[in-house]
Amino acid sequence: MDRPPLIRDDEIFLRMNLAERIQHYLLISTFFLLMITGLPLFFYEFKAFKWFFPTEQVFYVRGIIHRVAAVVLIINLVWHIFYATCTARGRNNFKEMIPKPRDIKDAFELFWHNVGFTRLLYRLGIFKKFFETHPYWLFKDQPLFGRYNFIEKFEYWAVGWGSVVMIVSGFFMWNVELSLRLFPLWVHDVIVMAHGYEALLAFLAVIIWHMYNVHLNPEVFPMSKIWLNGKITGKELRLLHPLEYRKIYEEREKSLSS
Amino acid sequence: MAKSRTALLAAAVLFLFLDLPFLSSQSNDDCLTCHGDSSLKSEAGKSLFVDAEKFQSSGHGRAEVSCVSCHADLAKTKDFPHSSPLKPVACSQCHKTAALEFQRSVHYSAQETGPNTVTVNCQDCHGTHDIRGKADFDSTIFPINLPTTCEKCHLEKVAAKKGPGFIGQYKESVHFKALEKSGLTMSANCSNCHGAHDIKKVSDPLALVARRNIIQTCGLCHVGIQRDYLEGVHGKDYVKGVKDVPVCTDCHSEHDILSPRDLNSTVYTTKVAEVCSRCHDNMILSRQYGFLTSRLKTYNQTFHGTASKFGETRVANCASCHGFHGIRPSSDPKSSINPENLPKTCGKCHPGASRHFAEGQIHVIPEEVVTAKYKSAYLVKNIYIIAIAGIISVFLLFIAADLFRRAIRKIKHG
Repeated sequence: MDRPPLIRDDEIFLRMNLAERIQHYLLISTFFLLMITGLPLFFYEFKAFKWFFPTEQVFYVRGIIHRVAAVVLIINLVWHIFYATCTARGRNNFKEMIPKPRDIKDAFELFWHNVGFTRLLYRLGIFKKFFETHPYWLFKDQPLFGRYNFIEKFEYWAVGWGSVVMIVSGFFMWNVELSLRLFPLWVHDVIVMAHGYEALLAFLAVIIWHMYNVHLNPEVFPMSKIWLNGKITGKELRLLHPLEYRKIYEEREKSLSS
Repeated sequence: MAKSRTALLAAAVLFLFLDLPFLSSQSNDDCLTCHGDSSLKSEAGKSLFVDAEKFQSSGHGRAEVSCVSCHADLAKTKDFPHSSPLKPVACSQCHKTAALEFQRSVHYSAQETGPNTVTVNCQDCHGTHDIRGKADFDSTIFPINLPTTCEKCHLEKVAAKKGPGFIGQYKESVHFKALEKSGLTMSANCSNCHGAHDIKKVSDPLALVARRNIIQTCGLCHVGIQRDYLEGVHGKDYVKGVKDVPVCTDCHSEHDILSPRDLNSTVYTTKVAEVCSRCHDNMILSRQYGFLTSRLKTYNQTFHGTASKFGETRVANCASCHGFHGIRPSSDPKSSINPENLPKTCGKCHPGASRHFAEGQIHVIPEEVVTAKYKSAYLVKNIYIIAIAGIISVFLLFIAADLFRRAIRKIKHG
């Protein structure tokens, strides 16, 4: 007897609810504003960046925008912390975000699966015996990901770490008199240096890593629309987040049998 | 009574006919009989008109100097109209000091060097019949008018070594604005700096604007600044005769000296660093005089320098911390950057600046910092560079592997 599948391929799941999407929008806009008002100062040697702030007035406004964006970023972070601790969905998501040793294994396996070097060796008959007794090292299959894969976890915690560094160092740069009352000048110099390089790291990480994974990756090109409508289909869930798919499947099976 | 009047008349007539030599000189009115005619011209077409009114109000006119006092070769001429041209007027007969000074000037030596060079005479600057003193508003040498007088030749006829517009720049300067706009006649015009009759070339060590004299020349008006300068490091070396030491004009420029508040000034707040670094980032000078380089580079790395580059004027420039005319080395207890004084110096902008300010270094060149912890920022920088390079490489490797696998799959499965 045919019964309808427990998870249809066109079934819609909510991957990002409205609150999560708004947090993401706020993060995007503040990040963008902070970058365009901050990074040119890091690259002060490039004449081209003088175009950004052609006059003293524009430069002054730059400082205001940078600080306003920073405050919004902080508010957003506080909201997110509140959301991740005080709501059931937030807590659950946060639990899924916690890095596990498995994530390192996933990264390792995905990389060598993609490279496929060991499978090439096997086909060429090199170390044939070893691979036959230890098929793991052939990395035949992609690792299976849960709700959040190692890429997403890395990005999430990178934003977390980066925000803390930027907020703390930025606070002391904003209140330079306070900073210099508390610390000697060389500590303040460290703070300024960290603010600049952490920004550069964040910028490159977002431009290269995040942009590839959610925009340029052929799988989602031109863009994954989850950040706009928050929706993911059953099929996408099955392919991209098989462990989460399996979990939902098992839950439904259990409730069906009981 | 009537008798005596007749006698007087008779005597006068007699004198006229006797034509006594001591009374033979022409009066000014005699000259003006012809020269008072505004249409009088020489054969070459040059106007020979003398404006009697102007002459009467001129210095010479008021002193009742007669035409023939200057045009002495006409004093004994009897045939009129007299022959022309007349001999050049010898002003030196009366103006002895000025004439002696003039003989030591570049203008005089130009006369000597030959017929092809531009010659300068008294009248080129002072005019001819309407010569006025320098206190007279209409005088060619009245402070406000003098620059225009000099420019008659120096704008185009005489080439300045520093290029054509060099002389004309003066009219943009704060000195000329003070003259023209504010009517401050004590503001520097050409002769205040270059001298008047004994004007000399800059290359002449006796010139008022020669390097060895410029401090005193500017100090004629800027007395307090001269004192500050001579107390500072630059001034002390200047007195010793060090030729590379900056004098007023090295930082403030020459003819186009502008107010430091003027955006185009060489010492405008965002441009000071460039001026100072001309010497202080110069390897040769630094080796010769034993000071540290990379001052501009290390300044630019700070927020002060970066913001200044973007036109922010509220941040500190070199002078904000080091002072300007009387810059002292940090070892000097009076120096604004002596560790003891740093809280006060930094406190000008950062209220409540504590002694922590002194614990660290502003211009940090990692190779030259003695105290290890002062280099911490560079350690942090290096850690970040390594981390960024590592993390980004890993990202790129993952992306490359991912794209590779997708390409293979596409080939295999279409």
